[in-house]
Amino acid sequence: MTSSMPQDKEKGPVGAVLVVGAGIGGMQASLDLAEVGLKVYLLERGPAIGGTMAQLDKTFPTNDCSMCIMSPKLVEVGRHLNIEILTTADIEDISGEPGDFRVKVRQRPRYVNLAACTGCGDCAAACPVSRLDEFNGGLSQRRAVYKAYPQAIPNAYAIEKLGVSPCRNACPINQRAQGYLALVQAGRFADAYRTIKEDNPFPSICGRVCNHRCEDECSRNEGATPVNIMGVKRFVADWWWSQDASVCKPVEPAARPASGKKIAVVGSGPAGLTCALDLVRKGHTVTVFEALPVAGGMMRVGVPEYRLPPEVVQREVNDILAEGVQLELNRRVEDVPALLKQGFDAVFVGIGAHQGSRLPIPGASLPQVTLATDFLAQVSLRGQNGHGSIDVSGKKVLVLGGGNVAIDAAMSCVRLGAAWVGMSCLESRAKMPAHDWEVRDAEEEGIQVFPARTFKEVTQVGGQVSGVRCVQVDLHGFVDGRPDFTEIAGTEEVIPADVVIFAIGQAPQLGQLKDQLETARGWYLKVDPVTLATSLPGIFAGGDVVTGTTFIVDAIAAGHKAAGSIDRYLAGKEMKLEAVHPPVVELEELEVRQRLLSSPALQADRQEMQKRPAAQRRLDFAEVYAGFSEEEARAEAARCLGCGICSECLQCVYACRANAIDHNMPARTLELSVGAIVLSPGLQPMPGDIKPEYGYGVYPNVVTSLEFERMLSASGPFGGVVQRPSDSRHPKKVAWIQCVGSRDERCGQGYCSSVCCMYATKEAVIAREHDPSIQPTIFYMDIRAFGKGFDAYVERAEKEQGVRYERCMVSAVKEVPGSRNLRLIYATFGSDGRPTGHEDEFDLVVLSTGLKPTAEAQETARRLGIDLNEYGFAESPGFHPTASSRPGIYVAGAFSEPKDIPETVIEASCAASFASADLAAGRGTLTRQMVYPAERDVSEEEPRVGVFVCHCGINIGGVVNVPEVVDFARALPNVVYAERNLYTCSQDTQEKITRVIQEQGLNRVVVASCTPRTHEPLFQDTIRQAGLNRYLFELANLREQDSWVHRGSPEVATHKAMQLVAMAVAKARRLRPLQRGTLKVEPSALVIGGGLAGMTAALSIAAQGFAVTLIERQDRLGGNLRHIYTGLEGSDPQALLEDTIRRVSEEPRITVLLESEVVEIKGYVGQFQSTIENRQQARWEVHHGVVIVATGGQEIRPRSYSYGELEQVVTQRELEERIQGDFRQNPANTPESVVMVQCVGSRDEKHPYCSRICCTQAIKNALEIKKLSPRARVTILYRDLRSYGFRERLYRQARQAGVMFLQYDPENKPKVTRNGHGLQVELVIQPEKEKATFPADLIVLSAGIEAEPGNAALSRLLKLPLTAEGFFLEAHVKLRPVDFAADGVFLCGLAHSPRAVDETIAQAQAASVRAVALLAKKELTATPIIASVNPRLCSACGLCVEICPYGARRLEPGMKYAEVIDVLCQGCGACVVACPNKASQQRGFEFLQISAMIDAAVENI
Amino acid sequence: MAINLSDRELAVPQVKEYSYYPGCSLHSTALEFNESVQAVFKALDIKLYELEDWNCCSAASATTLNHALSLALPGRNLAIAQKSGRDVVIPCTGCYNRHKTTERELKRRSAAGQMVEQAVGFSYQGNFEVRSLLDVIGNQVGLEALRRRVQKPLNGLKVVGYYGCLLLRPVEVTQFENPERPTLLNRLLAALGADLQPWSYASDCCGGDQTLVKPEIAARLVNRLVEHAREAGADAMVTVCPLCQMSLEMRQGAGAKLPLFYFTELIGLAFGLAEASSWWKKHLVSPVGLLKSLQLES
Repeated sequence: MTSSMPQDKEKGPVGAVLVVGAGIGGMQASLDLAEVGLKVYLLERGPAIGGTMAQLDKTFPTNDCSMCIMSPKLVEVGRHLNIEILTTADIEDISGEPGDFRVKVRQRPRYVNLAACTGCGDCAAACPVSRLDEFNGGLSQRRAVYKAYPQAIPNAYAIEKLGVSPCRNACPINQRAQGYLALVQAGRFADAYRTIKEDNPFPSICGRVCNHRCEDECSRNEGATPVNIMGVKRFVADWWWSQDASVCKPVEPAARPASGKKIAVVGSGPAGLTCALDLVRKGHTVTVFEALPVAGGMMRVGVPEYRLPPEVVQREVNDILAEGVQLELNRRVEDVPALLKQGFDAVFVGIGAHQGSRLPIPGASLPQVTLATDFLAQVSLRGQNGHGSIDVSGKKVLVLGGGNVAIDAAMSCVRLGAAWVGMSCLESRAKMPAHDWEVRDAEEEGIQVFPARTFKEVTQVGGQVSGVRCVQVDLHGFVDGRPDFTEIAGTEEVIPADVVIFAIGQAPQLGQLKDQLETARGWYLKVDPVTLATSLPGIFAGGDVVTGTTFIVDAIAAGHKAAGSIDRYLAGKEMKLEAVHPPVVELEELEVRQRLLSSPALQADRQEMQKRPAAQRRLDFAEVYAGFSEEEARAEAARCLGCGICSECLQCVYACRANAIDHNMPARTLELSVGAIVLSPGLQPMPGDIKPEYGYGVYPNVVTSLEFERMLSASGPFGGVVQRPSDSRHPKKVAWIQCVGSRDERCGQGYCSSVCCMYATKEAVIAREHDPSIQPTIFYMDIRAFGKGFDAYVERAEKEQGVRYERCMVSAVKEVPGSRNLRLIYATFGSDGRPTGHEDEFDLVVLSTGLKPTAEAQETARRLGIDLNEYGFAESPGFHPTASSRPGIYVAGAFSEPKDIPETVIEASCAASFASADLAAGRGTLTRQMVYPAERDVSEEEPRVGVFVCHCGINIGGVVNVPEVVDFARALPNVVYAERNLYTCSQDTQEKITRVIQEQGLNRVVVASCTPRTHEPLFQDTIRQAGLNRYLFELANLREQDSWVHRGSPEVATHKAMQLVAMAVAKARRLRPLQRGTLKVEPSALVIGGGLAGMTAALSIAAQGFAVTLIERQDRLGGNLRHIYTGLEGSDPQALLEDTIRRVSEEPRITVLLESEVVEIKGYVGQFQSTIENRQQARWEVHHGVVIVATGGQEIRPRSYSYGELEQVVTQRELEERIQGDFRQNPANTPESVVMVQCVGSRDEKHPYCSRICCTQAIKNALEIKKLSPRARVTILYRDLRSYGFRERLYRQARQAGVMFLQYDPENKPKVTRNGHGLQVELVIQPEKEKATFPADLIVLSAGIEAEPGNAALSRLLKLPLTAEGFFLEAHVKLRPVDFAADGVFLCGLAHSPRAVDETIAQAQAASVRAVALLAKKELTATPIIASVNPRLCSACGLCVEICPYGARRLEPGMKYAEVIDVLCQGCGACVVACPNKASQQRGFEFLQISAMIDAAVENI
Repeated sequence: MAINLSDRELAVPQVKEYSYYPGCSLHSTALEFNESVQAVFKALDIKLYELEDWNCCSAASATTLNHALSLALPGRNLAIAQKSGRDVVIPCTGCYNRHKTTERELKRRSAAGQMVEQAVGFSYQGNFEVRSLLDVIGNQVGLEALRRRVQKPLNGLKVVGYYGCLLLRPVEVTQFENPERPTLLNRLLAALGADLQPWSYASDCCGGDQTLVKPEIAARLVNRLVEHAREAGADAMVTVCPLCQMSLEMRQGAGAKLPLFYFTELIGLAFGLAEASSWWKKHLVSPVGLLKSLQLES
C-alpha cells in the first residue's frame, strides 16, 4: 500500500505536497497534510476554492445547509499558515520523481491584486458588463469583475477577460471601444466619456472625422456588419457637451508634484496638444507655440466646417488648456534648437504638413491658381484678421486631385457659391484615393468628376485662368511614388475653369529644420520610430511632420508616444520601454454566430448617422451628419459582441479605492518543488442536452439538477423561492428524470453517477419544505440509496413527505404551448399487468444529470502522465484506493469515480495519508510557525479602548455616517482613541493598528466593520502581533447587521451603528486575557479490531512513524476478509489478506494482542490509558494519544427461505466458499440453475438499511458461476439493483453473460418450495406482475451486513454514540466521516457502515492521517473560549455533567464542585445555560460582559 | 424568428444537376409533390434527370419480408445512378431511407454490401451521394438562395414543420443533423416567411406504416398529432414525406380538418409560381380556403 520511496539519503523527500483542485476533497487533503507538518500548495483553476459543494443547497441525509457546514473549512484553508492557495492556475508540466517532483504551474492573470483586494464589491457595482453567472447555473447574471460566491476564499474579486478586443487593438491609441460601448449600452454616458478621454483628448473630433480602423477589425464583420463605433463615440462626446457643466465635470486627474521641467511644443495640432497634455499631467510645465491665430492645426484649418465645426475643435482645445497647458498663438518658431538654449528642457515638434504642392506645368503660378491647403485654411479662417480667401462665388472651379483633401476643397467651393465645380485626377474613378462614398457625396452635390487625366497646362486668356488642358491616361500604378501611365492618343481637351485648386499632396514646412535635424529625403523629419527622438538630443517630433499626411488618431498616438519618451528623457531614464503585447481576442466564426444568436439586440442592423440631403448641404457650412439620438446610440452600442468579455472600460479601476485592480497583470509561471501530488479536480455535471429528447435548452422549464439546487438556495438567483424560469410562477407538479447521462452507453456514459438518486430525493423533499403544495415525482430505474442512512431517508420521503416514485424511463418531454408546461411521455404497467402509456403534465422538469470529469482535469492528468479509463476518469487499481498509474501522484474524489461528499472526504484523507507516509522524513522541514512577541500584562491597567470604524469602501460608508460614529465612539467611557479607515482589513491598516496600540498604550481594541466569521481572526492576530492578548478584541458588525439591511435609511443605520459600537465597547471594557491550555500528546495509537480496517490503519500510522497497539478479539488477524475470495476485476482478496498480515507482523512499531479486548479506557485526547485483557486474563496497561475503532461487522444470518434447514439454501459468503473450493476443483459440481435472492437480511424491519455490497457480491458470484459453467442458469431476484459507480459495468457484463435479473416486490417476496428432489422459487415478477416459477439447484441468499454486537459495550466504554442499527455514529456524516465528536477517537471499516474492501482501505487510511495529525503535534492547544466554573457558586448538582455532549464536565463522588476538562470542552455553552447558579461561565462571553452589552444597547436607544 | 446570419450560406457551391428518384408515390398518390418538386427545381434552374428504368425501393413489403431483397432492390437503382455520377435526390423519405441503407452497406464494404454488388452485378464506386430532397434544397441550394427568390412571403401562414421518422432515423443511416431536435425544415419555412409555431411533435410517429393494416392505430396517432398541431396554434402542417401526408390527410377524424402541405408546395407558392394553384385540388384536405383567407391564393 505504501509506494516505495527512493530515499535520497542526504536530502530526504521534499516536505511539500501539491494538491490540485480545491473542492471539498482538495480542501480536506490540504488540511490533513498541513496538519501533519507538510507544506501545501493548493492549486485551483477558478478564482475561488470551494468546488461543486459550494453550489449545493442542502446535503442528504441530514439536510444540513451545504454552505454552512463548508464555510468554516473554507476559512480554515484560507487562513492556514502552511497552505498556499494558487487560484486561476493550471499545471503545465512535471518532472522529477516521487519525493522530489518539480511542477511547472501557469497562473493566469486575475487582474485583481489579491493582497490589496478587500472583497468590498465596489468594482462589480461599477462594471457595465453582464455575464451569465455559472455559479448560479446560468440562472442569473454577474459582472465581468466578480467574486464567484459571497463566501468565496480568497475573499477577492477577479476579472474575466479573454484579452484585448480587436477594436481596441486596431486603434493607434488603443481606444477602449468595447468599454465605452458597454457603458453607452447601460446608459452611462458620462462614464463612457471618461473612458474615451482616458486615451483620447479629442472625443468630439474623432467621433466625426476618424477613419475608424476599429470598425474594420470589429468581429461582427464575420457574417454581419460592424458596430458604428465612431457614431457612438460622437454621441457620447456631444451628449457630454450638451449637459449642464455642473452635471458633467471633467474628472480631476490626480495632482502630480511639479517636476520643475519646462517643455516647448511647436505646433498645436493633435500631436502637439496631446503631447502637451500628457506632459502637464506628469507635472511638467508646457508651452505650446502656434504660428496661426487659432489652435488645433489641421483639425482647425484643414478639415472644413461642415465636417468638423470649429467650435467642436475649440471646446476640446479649451479642455486641454484648462489642465494647465500654456498656449501662445501667432508665434511661429523659426529656430527650434534655440528653444533649448532659451531654457526649455525638451522640445516637441508637431508642425504638421501644411505645405501644399503644385504641378510644374505652365500657368501653375497664375493668381487664380491656388493650393488646397491654403484655400481650406483661408476658408476656415475667413473673418479672422488678415485672412481673406479667394473669391470663388459665381466662378467655375476645377480642383486637381482625387483624395479627400480635393473633395474637401471642391465641396467648400460649392458652399461658397461657385457656379460650377469639377474635380480631375490621374486615377480612374474606381481607384480614386478618396472613399467611394465621398466621391458619390460630391457628385450628389453637383461636382463633376473627370478621372484618369494628366494635366499639361493651366490655360489662360489675358492672364486670367481659362481652364486646364489635360489628356486621358491609362494608369498602371505607381513606381517609387511616381505614376506610371500611358496617355491615350487623341483625348486631349481643355476643361474650362476660372479658378484652379491643386490638391495633389502636401508636405511639412521644415524651414531651417531641414538643415538643423536629420530628415527623410529632405521632406520629413527623421526620428527613432520607438522614441520619436530626432537627431538632436532633447528634440522630439511626431505627427504629419514625420509621417506625411495621415489621420488625426495617428497624430494623437504620436503625441502620447513622444510625451512618454520626453518624460523618461527628462528623468534620465532609458527611453525605450520593453514592448508588452497582451493577447488579442480572435473570435472563431462559430463563436461569433453563437454570440449573435444570444440576444435580439445583437441581431439588429447597423445604423448610420442621418445625413442632410445634398440640396440642403450645398447651401451652407452646417454639419452634414446629425449625431445619434440616445436610443439610437444605445441600440447601436448593444450590437457590440463584447469580444474580450471584460471591456477594459476602467470603471472598476476608478471605483476601487484600494488600488487593487491591474488590467495589465501578466500571466506568471511558477516552478514548485513538491514530494507528492494529490489530484482532486472534482467533477462537472453532464450537460442537460445530452438527452435531446428531454428538451433542455429548448424548453425553459426543463432545468438541470444543479440549476435546481441554485433555485432552492437562499443565496441563489431566486432567493430560495422555487419558481419557473419561463414565468416565475410557483410550480406545483415537479418531475425529476433520473439517469440523464448515467447508465447509458448510448451517450457514452456506461456508469452510474452514484449520487443522483439521493440528491433528487433531497431536492424533492427540500422543494416541499419551501412550498408544501409542490407535488414531486421522481422517475427512476433503480433507487440507489446505498449509503448510511440513505434508505431511511428515501423511505421518509415517500411515506411522509409526499414524494412519488415512478419506476420507468421517460421517453420524451413535450412542451405545452401557452402554459409552457411539460408533458412527460412514459409507460407503466397497470394493475392488470398490461402496459399503459401516459402523458402526464408537469410545471417543471428537473433532469438528474450525471457526473463526469472535466476536460481540463483530463488534460491535467495527461500532463501529469496519469492513465485514464474509457470514460476519462482516473481509475485506481483494485485494493489501491487513490493510487494513480504514476507513483507519488494520488487521486481523490469524483475524478476517480462519481461519488458523494463523505467518500470524497475519506479519499482526500486517504491520499493525504499516503503522501504523508511517503514524505514522513520531510515533515516539518518546509512549514512555518507564527512567532509572536511576548504578551503585555494588562491586568493592572485601566481599560484603554481603541475603536476603528471601517468604511468598507462604500459598503458601510455609503450608508452609515462613519465620522459621526467615530465621534460618538470617542465619547464612550474608556475609549482613548477612535478613528476611521477606508478598509480596516487592508494590510496598511493592520500596520497602523499595531502602531496606534503602541503609541496610545491601548489594551482593548474594537473594530466596527464586517462579519467576524471572516475577519475576527485577522484582527486578533494583529493585536497579538502588537503584544496584546488576542482575546482583548471585540468586533461590531456594521455591514451585514446594519448597512446592508438598512440601505434605504441612512439615519437609522447610523444610529444603529452607534448602538453596535457602544455594545462592543461595553463588552471590550470587561474583556480579560485568555490563555490556551496545552496538553502533551502520547505519540502512539490504540487500534481496536484486527480486520482489514484495523490492520490498514495500524500499518499507515506506523509508516508515518508512530507506535501502534493493535488488538483483536479472535485468535488471528483478518476479520471478514478471510471469507472473501473473489475481488472485482481480477483482484485477489486472499493475497491482500496474506500480504497485510505479513506486513503487520514485520512492522516493529506495531504490537499485536490477539484474543484481547479493551476493558477500561481512561483519559482523553493525547492522554489515554487503556486496560487490555486477553482470554487468559492477562492484563496490559497501554498509554496512547489516540484510538481507532475498527471493530468490523458481520454477515447477517438469514431467518427465512428455510435457511439452515435446506442445504441447497446458502448465503453469498457460503457460496463464495463453495465456488472457491468445490466448484473450482470440480466444475461439474457447479449447479445448473442458481437463484439468488437479494435483500434477504437488509431493507427489512430488523435491518432497515441497505448493506451496500450485496448487489455487487451477487453479480460477482454470478459471473464466477458463469465462468465455471457457461450453461448454468443464474437468476438474480432483486428490489433495486445497486451497482453504483463503475460497478454498473459489471452489471452490464452479467446481463451480457446471460445472467437473468428479475425484480420482486418486498410486499410479495419470492417463495421457496420443494419440487421433488430439487427446489423451486415462485415469484411475481415486477413491474409486469407476472407469476413465474424457477427450478433451482442452489438458492443463494444475499444476507447483508449487520453491526458487530460488541459495539454496544465499546460505545459505553468510550462514550461513543451508536446509530439505531448499532453502527458507530461519526461526528458529521458529510465532512467528518472518520472522526467522532469526541477528540482523539476515529472510526473506520464496517464499524461505521457496510462497505466494500477498497472503501474500507480508503477509510482506514483516512482515519490514520486524522490520527497522525494529532500525534504529530507534540502538544495540543485547547481553545480558550471554553467553560469555567466558579467553585464558590457551584452546588455540585451535576446538571452540567449531564448536558455536556463532549464529556468535558466531571463531577466525581466526593468532589465539592464540578470541573471542566479544558481540552475536551468545545465551548458550546450548553452547561452555562443549564447551570442554575451562574457558576458555569463561558470565557469570553461572561455574564457581566453580555449584560454590559445589553445595558449599552438599552441606554442608547 | 428570421435570423439574417446566413450570408455565408451563399458560399455553398451550387450544384446544377441531380439524378432524380421519384419512387412510386410521386408517380401516383403524391403527384402534386412531384409536380411541386419539378416546378421548384426549374425555378431554381437546377436540372433533375429521372433515373432510367428505376425500380421499387423495397420500402413497401420487401423490408419486412426479405432483408437481402430489401438491400438489393435499391442497389439496382444505385447501379443506374452510378453511371452518370450525379448525386441522387429522393423526395420520398421511405425511398430515401432504403437507398441510404443500401448505400451505407456499400460504403462500408460489408458482407451485405458485397451481396448487393453481386446480386445487381455492379461494382460500387462511391462517386455520388444519395441525398434527401430537404437536404438538397435546405443545405445545397441554401436558405439564402431561397430567401432571395421569394416573391410572395408566406406571412401569416401559421404552420408546424413535421418530419416523421424515416428522414431522421436511424441517424447512422440518415446522417441527419440532430434527429431529436431537427431544425432544418423550420429554418427553411422561416426563410419563406411562414409563421412557425413551436411544437414538440415534429418527429413523432404518424402511423403511416399502419395506415392500411391497422387504420385505428394510424387514426389515433394522426389525430394526436393534429390535435397537438392545433394546440400549438397551427393552421396547417408541413410534411416532407408522401406517406406522412397521406396518412395525416386520410386518417383525420370527422369535423374541420387541418390542411397539409408538402414543403416544396410552399416553396413554389412563396416563389410565386403560377402552377401552384393546380396542386391544391389533389389534396384530400383542401388548403384553398386557408390560402385565400391569407391572400396567398386568389
